[in-house]
Parts: sequence; structure tokens; C-alpha cells
Amino acid sequence: MGLFNAKNKAAAVLKGRVEGIAKVTGAGKYAAEYRVDNMCHAVFAGSTIAAGTIKSIYLENAKQVEGVLAIITHLNKPGVPGFTTEAKIKDTRAGLPLFHTDKVYFRNQPIAMVVANTLEEATYAASLIEVTYEEDKATVDFKKAHPTVPLSLQGRERGSLDAWSSAPVVVDQEYDIAAEVHNPMEMHATIAHWTAADKLVLYDKTQGVVNVQRTISKIFEIPTENIEVFSEFVGGGFGSGLRVWTNAVGAVMAAKQVDRPVKLMLTRPQMFSLTGYRPAAWQRVKLGADKEGKFLGIHHQGKNGTSAFEPFQEGLTTITRMIYNFDNLKAEQSIVPLNLGTPTWMRGPGDCTGAFAVECAIDELSYQLNMDPVALRLKNFAITHDPENKKPYSSNFIDECITKGAEMIDWKQRKQQPGAITEGDWKVGYGVAVGMWGAGRGNASAGISMEKDGTMTVKTAMTDIGTGTGTAMQNMTHTFTGMPKDKIKIELGHSTLPTAGSQGGSTGMSSISGAVSAVCEVLKKQLAAYAAAINPAYKDAKPGDVLLSATGVSLKSDNNEFVSLADIWQKNNLTTIAVKASSGPGAERQQYAFCCSTAHFAKVRVNTKTGKVKVERAVCVADGGTIVNEKPAANQISGAIVGGIGMALMEEIHPDDKLGNLVGNDLAGYHFAVNADAPMIEVAFINKPDPYVNPSGAKGLGEVGIIGCAPAIANAIYNATGKRLRDLPITPDKVLI
Amino acid sequence: MKPFSFSKSDKVSKALSAKKEAVQFLAGGTNLVDLMKKNIAVPDGLIDISAVLSDKVEAQTVNTRIGAMVRNSALATDPQILAKNPLVAKAVLAGASPQIRNMASTAGNLLQRTRCPYFYETSTPCNKRNPGSGCSALHGEQRMSAIIGYNDACVAVHPSDLCIALAALSASVNVTDKGNKQLVIPFKDFHKLPESTPELDNHLPKDAIITSVDIPDNPFNKHFAYLKLRDRDSYAFALVSVAAALELEGNRIKDARLASGGVAHKPWRWQKAEQYLKGKEANAATFSAAAAMVADEVKPLPGNGFKKVMLMGAIETALQNCLTA
Ligand SMILES: Cc1cc2nc3c(=O)[nH]c(=O)nc-3n(C[C@H](O)[C@H](O)[C@H](O)COP(=O)(O)OP(=O)(O)OC[C@H]3O[C@@H](n4cnc5c(N)ncnc54)[C@H](O)[C@@H]3O)c2cc1C
Ligand code: SF4
Repeated sequence: MGLFNAKNKAAAVLKGRVEGIAKVTGAGKYAAEYRVDNMCHAVFAGSTIAAGTIKSIYLENAKQVEGVLAIITHLNKPGVPGFTTEAKIKDTRAGLPLFHTDKVYFRNQPIAMVVANTLEEATYAASLIEVTYEEDKATVDFKKAHPTVPLSLQGRERGSLDAWSSAPVVVDQEYDIAAEVHNPMEMHATIAHWTAADKLVLYDKTQGVVNVQRTISKIFEIPTENIEVFSEFVGGGFGSGLRVWTNAVGAVMAAKQVDRPVKLMLTRPQMFSLTGYRPAAWQRVKLGADKEGKFLGIHHQGKNGTSAFEPFQEGLTTITRMIYNFDNLKAEQSIVPLNLGTPTWMRGPGDCTGAFAVECAIDELSYQLNMDPVALRLKNFAITHDPENKKPYSSNFIDECITKGAEMIDWKQRKQQPGAITEGDWKVGYGVAVGMWGAGRGNASAGISMEKDGTMTVKTAMTDIGTGTGTAMQNMTHTFTGMPKDKIKIELGHSTLPTAGSQGGSTGMSSISGAVSAVCEVLKKQLAAYAAAINPAYKDAKPGDVLLSATGVSLKSDNNEFVSLADIWQKNNLTTIAVKASSGPGAERQQYAFCCSTAHFAKVRVNTKTGKVKVERAVCVADGGTIVNEKPAANQISGAIVGGIGMALMEEIHPDDKLGNLVGNDLAGYHFAVNADAPMIEVAFINKPDPYVNPSGAKGLGEVGIIGCAPAIANAIYNATGKRLRDLPITPDKVLI
Repeated sequence: MKPFSFSKSDKVSKALSAKKEAVQFLAGGTNLVDLMKKNIAVPDGLIDISAVLSDKVEAQTVNTRIGAMVRNSALATDPQILAKNPLVAKAVLAGASPQIRNMASTAGNLLQRTRCPYFYETSTPCNKRNPGSGCSALHGEQRMSAIIGYNDACVAVHPSDLCIALAALSASVNVTDKGNKQLVIPFKDFHKLPESTPELDNHLPKDAIITSVDIPDNPFNKHFAYLKLRDRDSYAFALVSVAAALELEGNRIKDARLASGGVAHKPWRWQKAEQYLKGKEANAATFSAAAAMVADEVKPLPGNGFKKVMLMGAIETALQNCLTA
């Protein structure tokens, strides 16, 4: 663990990510790359049935393998206090009570763990374990299972269904989406090291070190402060790092058992079963409007899959309450237990799936009305107030997003008549959809330590999952203090640093910007107080008037009142100045509603002979408040669009209905979009500060970039071909048949 | 992975004498090592043959000889291949990724095993992996399965792109058997259908080594196309692929080659359609009639009916692309 930007020295590099050099040279360490003395390796053996009970486990062959130190199963496990009662299991939020049950809930569920000196030995021994089962009938096919599961009311009903029962224009359709898997590049991995009987050090792939501390503390019943968690470099997460999975729990158990540090890294196929996924969903949307296109009401029903041992509900109908004025709105949802691992939040969770149904239904309505879908949306946006709680939006520029996006893609070229543009065997079409995400903010703390030579280290426990948090912290510190960027170092992703929540739900930037602003104020106050001992002009200086440079402090005044750092340090007899501050949401949350938004446009080509869909252009205009750093911000959005293309056209994982295994659970069998699938992606920002969200005016951008992308593509395919495809992903076979 | 011994050979004869059923040759390792990691291939030993076989493309009197160790990336950029058999380069570049092609050898590509998802999931029945255990794909996921030449024992397809071009160009495979005898196996007889032995992908004699592949000189270097349809535009195996090549006299087709991947247990030549194309005018009507003949031959499984329509479209498009290439 070092400084996040320790390697960025050359001036040219200062323009990029602060951790860029460390990443591309391999100097940045990911969880599994740490070396701990005397470390050994643990490997899971997974169940080969999807439902049932373990009858016997034969370990003798596995035990013979050289280097094997221990094999843990439900029969011989070291007891884990958090798994002793149902209530405790629930409270720990661990999900699966690893090795504390003989029940099998899904295929590839860990049923034994081999600990050995080397990874090779552990892997080989794990393959020799023989298990017999009493097999139960497994339910894995969401499409087959969901029809029998009843719906129940989700949230408050607005108005009534009757109020628009005679709406002149109505769309009533069903929409499906297959399960998707996060597949970050970095595997989930943990190195666990008990440094004393009740003290633990963890190197973990996670989006939140504090969450790991809290969860492991509950499961193993040791104080949180006894658990130190490192997660400095994270190779992507997309939500899979927001929970503590079996790799962490297993590593901690194994390390206790063999009394040595243990590394447990999941394999890629295990990542498909053990670290969550976006669940398959079914939705039905009934949408009514008057003849001029004013929305009269919406009835949105949705179901998503979950595991057989843990409920997980997606916010499928959340977005329905946000974007448009619906005087009448009814939402119903339910979850469908399946013999699969538990799903979890995946980029744009809930909203992304919900928007696919709602934004496609609106598109269908526009054709019924023979009205431009951009105009139809503009007519119905709720711009000034949140339609659910009637609070005024702190800022909402979704109308500007869609207007600007239409210009960028040259929307005028679109034909209202589907199938009207033909180029040889290709049909060309345009589509639009919008996305919205609540702009949240959490509590976060940051610290700064400053040296005599002006070097400042800005610190937080928050992780940077590739989103550019560290770079943004450096930029903001520079903006708030005036200190040149090359003097600003970043330290993050470690639980002993000032505490902060997980990097997720698009709250990272919003939360940390408040903390950085607060700690910069404290530092400036502190420096002013020290400077006042030399120059009385600083006595009542406000932080906003104090400016830092590489050599000293000045006041916003006619003669600057410069005092050098050297003098400040000498006069006050200082070594290092260390300050800390916290910040979080306040009363503004009661007064205002907060949102970020996107408008997505796609131009697609569809080959009528081969079914091939090519996204030729993707345009996204986003409102994320102030754009603190345009490069990583645009990178967030373009990455999200590549994810959206995957969601629209290729990503799906599904279990074999008879065997319960996930078909094609590796990176060759699971297709996410690669460079060749990505078109020209054009991203623009509204870039206006939100006046209330936090001191930087920046709202989050992580989720909203993917929300609305898939429906824009599906809508473009309809515009190109006249074929309405309501089942994602839209693979070539669906286009053809 | 099961522990194994490893040796490096410097001569074909030595490699052959060390070869046994449980000892396998290792070329680029891009397929074999994956299979070993998954406990699908469990050899006791490996013989690295990368130093014993030619990595050169050589022009001979009536053919082009591709050494068994010519890497896929080298094959795709070789000046002689580009001049005389550009269809081969196109097919290679449609496969895998640059990193994999840098490692993958010509012989290894011929011998790569199917990508049937059940073959890779050792906890499921599979006749190819575990003879007699049954075929999971027969009643399971069939998106990547065959539409011709299959039987109840196995519905898998051969995954190679290179082999489709080699089949189209009537290549042959040069082999040295365990007793140091040299054999020439025509490409059409190299890979086999599942029959009652789905565990065997080809007719390579037991413990034999492939030394090179020959492509006879041919007139198909002007009008050719390789079209691969898949779920994403790179780094995915074919749903269906088509290698097409035409020899034209004016607008008339003098000779034609048409082969497909993703459809059968072996690279598949559409000989009826080839015969039909000969002497016809090269136009959309001719191409669609050829595609219809192919469609008549195939029998999709319940889970891959789309492949018939897709294949027709792919054949029409590939033939059309021959005119513009
Ligand atoms: C993710 C991924 C994607 C891929 N995508 C594609 C694709 O789209 N299209 C495609 O065509 N291919 C694809 N491939 C497959 C790739 O082309 C093959 O793995 C490669 O060609 C195998 O060559 P190799 O030299 O690495 O073989 P190895 O793995 O070394 O060997 C394969 C087999 O051949 C045997 N062998 C090798 N050389 C000889 C010899 N001279 N004589 C006798 N036996 C021999 C070995 O014993 C072994 O059984 C992909 C592979 C991967 C991993
Ligand atoms: S199709 Fe062949 S490879 Fe696939 S499961 Fe059946 S027997 Fe195995």
C-alpha cells in the first residue's frame, strides 16, 4: 500500500489519471497480488447439482495430494458465530451461510474448500473430492417459473387505473430481459491474515472497505476496529463489489483453520455463480395517452429472479415514478425464487431494466400517435418537480439533454415511417430513450496531511473502482486550495483512512466532494491561524479568502499578505499539519429532489439477410451537474454505453433447464461488447452546477450512463425494420425470425 | 490440473517415439492447456513440439505448404498466402484474438476441440468427453449446435475458422505416424462426423503427428469472401460461417467453392450448391438459388431453427461479397 499516485511524476502524466502510471506498469496492486509471508491458498469445490442435500463427501483422494493442509466442509468446519442462527445469518448480510448447511441451493455452491501450500495443489485436490447428493427438483428457468408467482402493490398508487380506462391511445405490452453478469476484469479475491486471535488484515476486491469491515465483524464477531481492509486498486466492479461474498468469508475461515495467511481467488466460472448478477426480469407496461400525446396513466408490473435462500428485489418500477408526469400510476412487483446464486446490484440496478420497458412502451405509443418520440417525451417530462413527492428538483436538465442529443445525431434524418431507409441489404433506423437516477449523497470523511515543502496528502477510505475518484480528489483539492496538482498526493482504499461509504449507486463523487471541500476549509483555517502568528492580517481570515501555493499562503486582498510555508513551519514549530473533516447530506434533502439524467440516441443498421445489428452511432447527453474532470466523466459514460450495447444486443447467461448449470460461463461463452461492437460514441455534458447537492455541484454519473441505452437501441431497430423486439438481448436470430 | 511431466523434443522421430496415449503433443497450448485446467484433458505428460516442426510457408511446384508450427498470426500476414490464398488469411483473422493467434499453431487449429458448452462443463453428461455418458446438448442449449451431419450421440460443431477455408480450397494434411510412415489425408477426410465415436474428432491415426498442410494452387484468389456471423463482432465462435470463392469468366461462374463452419461436426462443403453455381451468371438470383439448395439440405435441431435462415442469408451475402472483394 502506498500513495495512489506515487508513480505519476512526469509533468505530462499529471494530465491523466493520478494512478495511471501505477496501473499500466503493474505497480498498482490488486487484492490477489499482495504478498504476505507464509501465505497459502484456498480453492472452492462446487456442487454439481442445483438443488438437494449433500449425502456424503469423500475426501481421501484429495487429502493424499501433496501440500494439502486442510479441507473444510459442512461436516468439519470451524464454527462461525454469525452463522449459528437464522436471525444472525440475516443480520450479517452474508447471504449464504458458507459450510454451515448441508443444503444445496444452486449449482457451483461451495461445498468444500481445500487449503494447500500452492494454488496448483489446492486446485488439483479440489477436483478429487467426491460428493453424493439427494437431489431435489431444481427450478432455474425464470421464464417458466414467473407466471405462477403473484404480484403485489409496490409503493403508493397515484390516482387510479379507472381514471384512464377509456384513454384513446393505449400500449399494453410485455418486456423480457435475460440475466447479465458483471464480469469485471479482476476476479473477486481475498487474502486473509489473522495477526492475532481477534485481529484480522484483509486484502479484498471490494467497492467499500468499510462494508467489508462491518460484514466480517458481524460474521466472525470481532470488533470492526480490529479488522484492517486494503482495497487500493480495484479492477472494475459494476456493483459486484458492493457485497461481501464467499471468497472473503472462506479466506477468513481458512486462515483461522490453518493459522496462516490464506489467499482465495475465485475462478471466472465461479464469478458467474458466486458474485451476483443482474437478474432476469419480466415486465408488463400499460400506458395511456390522449390524442395529443399527453400521458394519462401507467400501470407497470415487474418480476425478477432471486435465489432460493435470499430475497433480492430490483427496483424495476422506481424509474416509472421519476421522469414523466403521470397523474395515475400503479406499480406492482414480485420476486421469483430460483436455484441460482443471489443476484445483486449491477450498474443502473433496477432502473436500467425498468427503463427498457417504459422507454420502449413510450416509443410504441409514439408510433400509434404518429408523433416524434422526442416531442412526445418533451411534452410529458416533469422538469420542475419530482412527480412522486412534489418536491422541487434542485436541478433537472433532462429536456436540454434530449434537445441537444437530437441535434448531435441529426435527428432530422430519421423517418417516422419504420423501414423507410434502405441501403442494400441494410435497413437504417434511429432511436431515442432517456434515463434518470436519483442523485444521492452519503456521509464521507477526508483528511489532509501537509508538509513544510507544501506536499499535501489527501486521504479517504473510499475506493476508486476505476471511476477516477482519486483524480477528482486531486482536481478538487487544487480548485479548493490553489495548491498546484503536483504537490497533491492521494491515498485511498484503506480502512484506517478517514471513513467513507462504498463506491456505488453513483454517490462516490457526490459524497467525497463534500468531504474534500470540508477538509480543505479546515486546512485553510488552520494555516490562517498559524500565519496570523506572523502576519495579523490573517487573524479573522475566512477560509474562502485563503489561497495556497507551492511556497506559501496568501490572502485575497490588495497586497496578497504572502507568508511562506517555511516561516509558518518555523514560527509555529511544526512538523506535519494533519486535519480531518466529515461532510454529508443535510436539510437540502428535505427541501429538494435530486436527479441526474441522460438522453440516449442510437443510429443502427440492421442486415435483413443475416440479422446482424450494427450500432453505427451512439450519442449521449448527460446532466451530472458540474463536471469535475471531463476525461474520466466521458469515460464513465462511454463505458456505460458499451455496457448498454451489450445489454441490448448480446449479454445473457442462462441456466440449462434440466441440469441447472450456467451455459457458457466463461469469457468466451458470455458475450459482452468488445471494441469491434462499439461505434463512434459521442458524449456531451450539460455541465451546470447543481446548487444544492454538495459543495462541488457534481451529481453522480456512474449509473445513469447505462440507463436508457438499451431501449434507445431497441427503438432504433424498430425504426429501421418495423419489427418490435421486446426480449433482450436482441441477438441476430430474433431479428431474423 | 493433474500433475504431469513435461519434455521438449528436437526431432520428429524422437517426439513420435515418446508419444503414447496418455502423453500429448503441445504446440501453442491455447486449447490443450485450457482443457487441462478444466480436467477435460488429463495427460500424464506433454511433449513440446514447437521446435521440431516447420514454421514456414513455402511455395512448391503445385501447392503452398504450411508448416504445422506456422502461427495463426504469421499465416494471416504471410505474403504468399495473401497472394495465392487470401481466403485463408481472411478466415484466420475472423478467429480468436490477436494474442491467441500469436500462440496458436496451424496443426493445433485443426485439432482444436469443440466449443459445445457442455463439453466444457465436466459435471454434465457428454459423449465426446466421457463416452457413453449421454449428450446434454441433445435436449439442452443448442444455439452453438449442428444443423447437419449430427446424430443422437453428439450434436457439436467443429469450431475452427481456418479449417473452413482449407476445406473450401481442398487442402490436404501431411502426417507422420507412430511408425514414421508419411501419409497424406485429404482435408475432406480429415475431420469426421460423430458416428458412434463422438469422442474422436478426426481420422488422425493414433499417436501420429501433423507436419504440414498443403493447399493446391487454385484460381480463387480474386473473388472470395469469408463471412462469420456471431453474437459479437470479435472474439466469439461462429453461429454460422461461410467461405465462398468464385472463378469468373466475365460474369459467368467457371468454378465455385462453398463451405461452412458452425453447422457440423466437421468443416462442411456444400458440393451440390457448388455444382449448381458452375456455369451460371454471377447474380443475386443465382446466389439465392444456391442458398436455397443449401437450406434444403440442413435439418436444424429444435433449439437452432434460426440457423437455417441465417445460413441462407450468409451464403447469399458471402457470394455477393465475392464480387466486390
Ligand atoms: C478464447 C478463445 C477463442 C478462440 N476463438 C477462435 C475462433 O473464433 N476461431 C478459431 O478458429 N479458433 C478459435 N480459437 C481456437 C484457437 O484457434 C486454437 O486454440 C488454436 O488454433 C490451437 O492451436 P495451438 O497451437 O495452441 O494448439 P494446442 O493447444 O497446443 O494443441 C491442440 C491439440 O492439438 C494437438 N497438436 C498440436 N500440434 C500437433 C501436431 N503438429 N501434430 C499432432 N497433434 C498436434 C495437441 O496435442 C492438442 O491436442 C479460440 C481459442 C480461445 C482460447
Ligand atoms: S453435443 Fe457432443 S460435445 Fe456437446 S454435450 Fe453432446 S456429446 Fe458432448
